[in-house]
Amino acid sequence: MNPRATFTFATAQYESGDWDSAPLVPANLIDSVARYTEIDASPSGVIVALGSEAVLRYPLLYLTGHLPVRFTAQEKRMLARYLERGGLLFVDDHNHDVDGMFHKTATEELEAVAGKLAKLPNTHALYSAFFRFEDGPPNTSHELNGWGDNLLHPYLMAAMRGDRIAVLYSNKDYSSEWNFHPDNKRFYSVDNTRFAVNLVVYALTR
Amino acid sequence: MPSPGNRRLLEGGARTAACLALGALLWRAWFPAPAGDVAIRLAGTGGLPQALARAVRTPVASLDLAVDSLPGASDRAVARAVAAAGTTVRWTLAAPPSVSAAVAEPLAEPSGRVRLVTIGRAEAALTVRDAAGAVDSARLSTTGVRAVDATMDGLVQVHGAGVLATTARRDSLVLRPVLVLGRAGWEGKFVAAALEEAGWRVETRFSVAPLVDVRQGAADAIDTSRYSAVVALDESAASRAAAIARYARSGGGVIVTSAAARLTALASVLPARAGEAIVPTLGALSGERPRRALGGVALTSVARDAVTLERTGNRARVVAARVDAGRVLMLGYDDTWRWRMEGDDSGPSAHRAWWSSLVSSVAYAPPVQLSATPAVDEAPLAALVEAWGPPSDLAADTAPPVSSVAWDRLLFAAFLLALLAEWSSRRLRGAR
Repeated sequence: MNPRATFTFATAQYESGDWDSAPLVPANLIDSVARYTEIDASPSGVIVALGSEAVLRYPLLYLTGHLPVRFTAQEKRMLARYLERGGLLFVDDHNHDVDGMFHKTATEELEAVAGKLAKLPNTHALYSAFFRFEDGPPNTSHELNGWGDNLLHPYLMAAMRGDRIAVLYSNKDYSSEWNFHPDNKRFYSVDNTRFAVNLVVYALTR
Repeated sequence: MPSPGNRRLLEGGARTAACLALGALLWRAWFPAPAGDVAIRLAGTGGLPQALARAVRTPVASLDLAVDSLPGASDRAVARAVAAAGTTVRWTLAAPPSVSAAVAEPLAEPSGRVRLVTIGRAEAALTVRDAAGAVDSARLSTTGVRAVDATMDGLVQVHGAGVLATTARRDSLVLRPVLVLGRAGWEGKFVAAALEEAGWRVETRFSVAPLVDVRQGAADAIDTSRYSAVVALDESAASRAAAIARYARSGGGVIVTSAAARLTALASVLPARAGEAIVPTLGALSGERPRRALGGVALTSVARDAVTLERTGNRARVVAARVDAGRVLMLGYDDTWRWRMEGDDSGPSAHRAWWSSLVSSVAYAPPVQLSATPAVDEAPLAALVEAWGPPSDLAADTAPPVSSVAWDRLLFAAFLLALLAEWSSRRLRGAR
């Protein structure tokens, strides 16, 4: 890891559930950030315990999983402190299932700490931070194939601090969509990780 | 026992004395004593209004005032009028006044606070009130100065041991947006966030890719009609460096980090140069001096007319200077966002206040005169000297004043005594 890098991709490790269900996502997204921008990104990501003070070094955190999520008291305290200071937590439901246990428990836990998750308008600055997504969050192949809850989720959810996103919550299963080796991008006519670049640019500029 | 002849002589003398006293009283009533006959001396400020009223009623040659506190504006005006009518006014002050002057000036910050500067006797106790109530209660420093930054409305009153100075803000400052320039990164994000939270309007240009900026706000030219301050965080400001230098010279406020200081186009306006790297102190973010935990560089070759605002040990970290009509501040700290994220509970607010104060210290903020301001008495000591002249070496005389009224009482007493003596003498010898 480059200690002077502007941006280091951080994955949140929480005590319940399977926090490491998408191990290839960090490398893939770091590759995309380096590919499209001149952001000084660390070539490898870090895994950081959600209940530790170390999360405060990484103002963008990625959290995913399939299993029920129950934050410990320390994790809740630290997450509240993290969000209050300006951190952005991106949570993706790896089940892509609104009836799934991850969705039900994670949203409950997040709302207890960060407040109500509300629909993020598809005109939000997130969707034009770098690439332009006129229709809001891009659909994933898992949604289009009818897996999980067999729904296309037309929007993301967010808890705001002022006019900034504090928690961004996705039911779209980007964790599956982006969980592949970066070299395989060459097989895609359109890179499906472009939205991740928007997420990183938004986090670094707003 | 006097003989009848002597008694008649005595009675005649008493009658004559009574007539003379009565005549003198009538004369004094008809022709008042001219100025120059009588002096008024006063010790202490308590009886000043009465003494001045007497001096107005009866012109006197001199008015010697040994006051122990500063008279108010009305007493100063009366004494000035008395002096203009020919009375010599001499005065002395028992001790330096607790409050000599107070002035309120608006600060160039969005909160609308004013800076109240009070000078007076060293360590004098004072209270500050405004239209809404008490603002501050404190002592002046050992050098006799106190500056208070607070929100104050209407007439501001500074009380101190019998002295009242009043002031009010006369101007309102026009604050324009702050432009933050840098690469997309945590520093730019959190500097912009801190300034927005402090109430500044913030526009940003964050470089993301070659020829791609993420922009907040319109793409306007950098000049004083558009921005109050410009913050250049790194070399990504290169394409705008010449415009930033022009902006500073024309009156704008500029903050430059050591990374941006490498831009040659900015060199002519910088108050210092970036020197050797400073190793941060581990664990200091939660201590009393959290900025010691921040890396960065020492600022060297500080310009002769520049001011070093912060040091780490003996190494300059924040330096500011005037550049023509503008101000440029140079920072030797990197990654100040860590203070906000990783500091103790006060970290976010301290980071916010620090960045806001930096911008405030350089911001271009043209004043606009307020249409209505209350009458003030900002410098009562200076106003006293202006009204009465410089203080005299006056030996305070605490004896009761000798005035024309005292003479009148003496004459009237002499008249009554003479009359009583004449009447008693006549009754004792049996005459009616």
